[in-house]
Amino acid sequence: MSDVLPIPQESYLELSARQRIARICDKGTFTEICGPEARRKSPHLATFGMPSAFDDGLIVGEARLDGRNIMVAAQEGAFMGGAVGEVHGAKLTGLLLRAADRAPDAVVILADSGGVRLHEANAGLVAVGEIQRAIFTARDAGVPVIAVIGSANGCYGGMSIAARSCDWVVMSGEGRLSVSGPEVIESAQGAGEFDARDRALVWRTMGGRHRYLMGDADRLVADDPGAFRSEIVSLLGQSRAITLETLRARNTELKQRIDTFGAARDGTEIWQAMGHSDPWRLPELEPDPFQAAVDGKRRKRA
Amino acid sequence: MNDMSWGTLADDKAARLDEAARNGLGKIVAADQAETLLVSVLRPNDRICIEGNNQKHADFISEVLSDVDPEVIHDLHVVQSNLALPQHLDLFEHGVAKRLDFCYAGPQGIRMAQLIEDGVIEIGAIHTYLELYARYFVDLTPRVSVVAVEAADREGNLYTGPNTEDTPPIVEATAFKSGIVIAQANRIVDRVPRVDVPADWTDFVVEAPRPHYIEPIFTRDPAAITEIQILMAMMVIRGIYEPYGIQRLNHGIGFGTAAIELILPTYARDLGLLGKICNYMSVNPCPTLIPALESGFITSIHSAGSELGMEDYVAARSDVFFCGPDGSLRSNRAFCQLAGHFSDLFIGSTLQIDTAGNSSTATSDRITGFGGAPNFGCDSRARRHASDPFLQAAREETGQESPQRGRKLVVQLVETFREGGQPVFTERLDAWDIQKRFGMDLPPIMIHGDDVTHIVTEEGIANLLLCRGPDEREQAIRAVAGYTEVGRRRDPKRVADLRRRGAVRYPSDIGIDTRLASRSLLAARSVRDLVRWSGGLYDPPARFRNW
Repeated sequence: MSDVLPIPQESYLELSARQRIARICDKGTFTEICGPEARRKSPHLATFGMPSAFDDGLIVGEARLDGRNIMVAAQEGAFMGGAVGEVHGAKLTGLLLRAADRAPDAVVILADSGGVRLHEANAGLVAVGEIQRAIFTARDAGVPVIAVIGSANGCYGGMSIAARSCDWVVMSGEGRLSVSGPEVIESAQGAGEFDARDRALVWRTMGGRHRYLMGDADRLVADDPGAFRSEIVSLLGQSRAITLETLRARNTELKQRIDTFGAARDGTEIWQAMGHSDPWRLPELEPDPFQAAVDGKRRKRA
Repeated sequence: MNDMSWGTLADDKAARLDEAARNGLGKIVAADQAETLLVSVLRPNDRICIEGNNQKHADFISEVLSDVDPEVIHDLHVVQSNLALPQHLDLFEHGVAKRLDFCYAGPQGIRMAQLIEDGVIEIGAIHTYLELYARYFVDLTPRVSVVAVEAADREGNLYTGPNTEDTPPIVEATAFKSGIVIAQANRIVDRVPRVDVPADWTDFVVEAPRPHYIEPIFTRDPAAITEIQILMAMMVIRGIYEPYGIQRLNHGIGFGTAAIELILPTYARDLGLLGKICNYMSVNPCPTLIPALESGFITSIHSAGSELGMEDYVAARSDVFFCGPDGSLRSNRAFCQLAGHFSDLFIGSTLQIDTAGNSSTATSDRITGFGGAPNFGCDSRARRHASDPFLQAAREETGQESPQRGRKLVVQLVETFREGGQPVFTERLDAWDIQKRFGMDLPPIMIHGDDVTHIVTEEGIANLLLCRGPDEREQAIRAVAGYTEVGRRRDPKRVADLRRRGAVRYPSDIGIDTRLASRSLLAARSVRDLVRWSGGLYDPPARFRNW
């Protein structure tokens, strides 16, 4: 028994969207755009007799981070699992287009979403397309867009596509990033293909550590708002080129990935093939020793 | 009397063993010979126990038995504590077994109710654990028992592994009344790590084709604990553990008690209660106990069974847990139930409470049974030793400074509404309808109202010890029943009077600021935090990992 008890520090995963904004941005600098007082609710949910939210589950606005101007969006996972509806999507698209116009040092998207809000059907799908286009518009204007993933709902479906269209992806080990969710894969392909109840398997194939090893996430941080904040600060003002050449390089890299790992049944098989001799140990490591263990043995984005 | 034989049971056993020998069976039986073994040693109408516990189950033998020809083996009388697996009920559906005495059927509750209603199963009684073990030694002694063990040697010495659970009373009753003891073993080894059952009590060992089924049913993910549960945990510590000085107690296994365990290192420690409360517990090694144990709260824990993933942690804390010479946990449900029965406080949850304080987990379409709550959750009229909480409770109840007998504290910890918006508080328990529907002699009440001393909800604490007469008890219960129909029928004037006397206490009455009830009080907010507290010794099952 030691004198210092391992009482956990504040968890990014457990925070609400508004708390996340408050922890990430400089104190008192956040100005919300189109906030709850505007009552821009979903025009669709009432049809199904479902409750709506005055902010439609997305908070957007401008703030300072480390003294620099940023724009920030945060999805509220407690409202419909952070799913993207028409208004929700329009707010994010609007923020990105505003960024292309005003050129802040970054747009930071605090993702917490299961994907498109199925109740809003085509309106939600269109919204995701618009978000992706707006991300490219902002990037083309030289504004770095940073996706931040470390929430309970993870980043799935259309939002995963949006996240991977950003310049940077910052994740915690607790975060998840994938197009199809575990339950979706299991119901489409059967539990023999993917057992959604095996949560360790879910994290070995979609979790932050795996995404970091594969180069899908650029930074891996502890589940701590302060750690997220410092990594985001380190990426401010840093754009990545988005050209035909970079896209071709990405496609080549993805094809290579399928060729090399396409037959793997589990994250551990991929990690072993990448040269990690004891892959089962990797998920157990805390962020720092994990970084040390995988340094030089991870893929990077082309 | 001289011409009367007094060894018919032994003679009968010898005949059955002979038959097994004639069928070519030795002490170690291969899995594909299991059916031959059962047909050799079983007779119609036998009483049989096929070990079923909270955690481990003799599932392989249960499966084999349900496939034997019901023309040959039929009308078995099953006497076992737990029927949690579908195979256990298949026996009845296939006509092999008829009568049943049991304690708990959790996940099979709905099918159980159906089979009883269809006359497929005849119920002897639904017992508490201690009752059923006791009756093994009275009139429900098994003729044949099948126990589930981790390993056996070639002589038949058995090692149960950390989940000893029900094995000792089953084997003791069977082996010493000329019954036949069969072990389903995960593996046959040259030497068992420790001898839990000696070879000469064992008649056969079947090497199972796969390890016995085992379920991590006591793992509660801290991530799922709500702020309401944390508020209630604060009330329990501040309003009961602290003022009564509860050192010897028994925790249920729900999220409510997990919340209490997880705020001991934070909230209770800040109140200066380290070393003053929660010193000795009768409870399974629930992972949510790790932070409290590591921060010095818990001196000793005796367990009814183990919990998957806790093996290494428990073995490394043998000062606290009961471990064998091999280092691994030795659990024992019978002794744990006994220990909890004589402790100073039981706290657990339930699905329904009526205005007299009776509680039940039986709802109209399922029969789940009781498990251990009735033994833990009753005031033993046999207790003779005193303790501060035992005396204080009696003083409150009798109003006398030197009461003739003490009183155990029995606390029900419930939110006013449970999942699906169902009120927990009700004017009438479903148990009465179930009694009628199934023709039971008694309604399936889990804890009787006169055994309950406190009811804690998110609204407050009803201290039934301070209530004088059934009317006051009813008002105190209504006072903490919130917005349920039962709660809305309270008499505000009488409740105000009860509150003045401390029979009803709301959070502000015991210095609790409800705004402080947040998840930041939890010493662990995730399973990963529990692993950290354990120094990496706790190895949670895959379904609880989010990394």
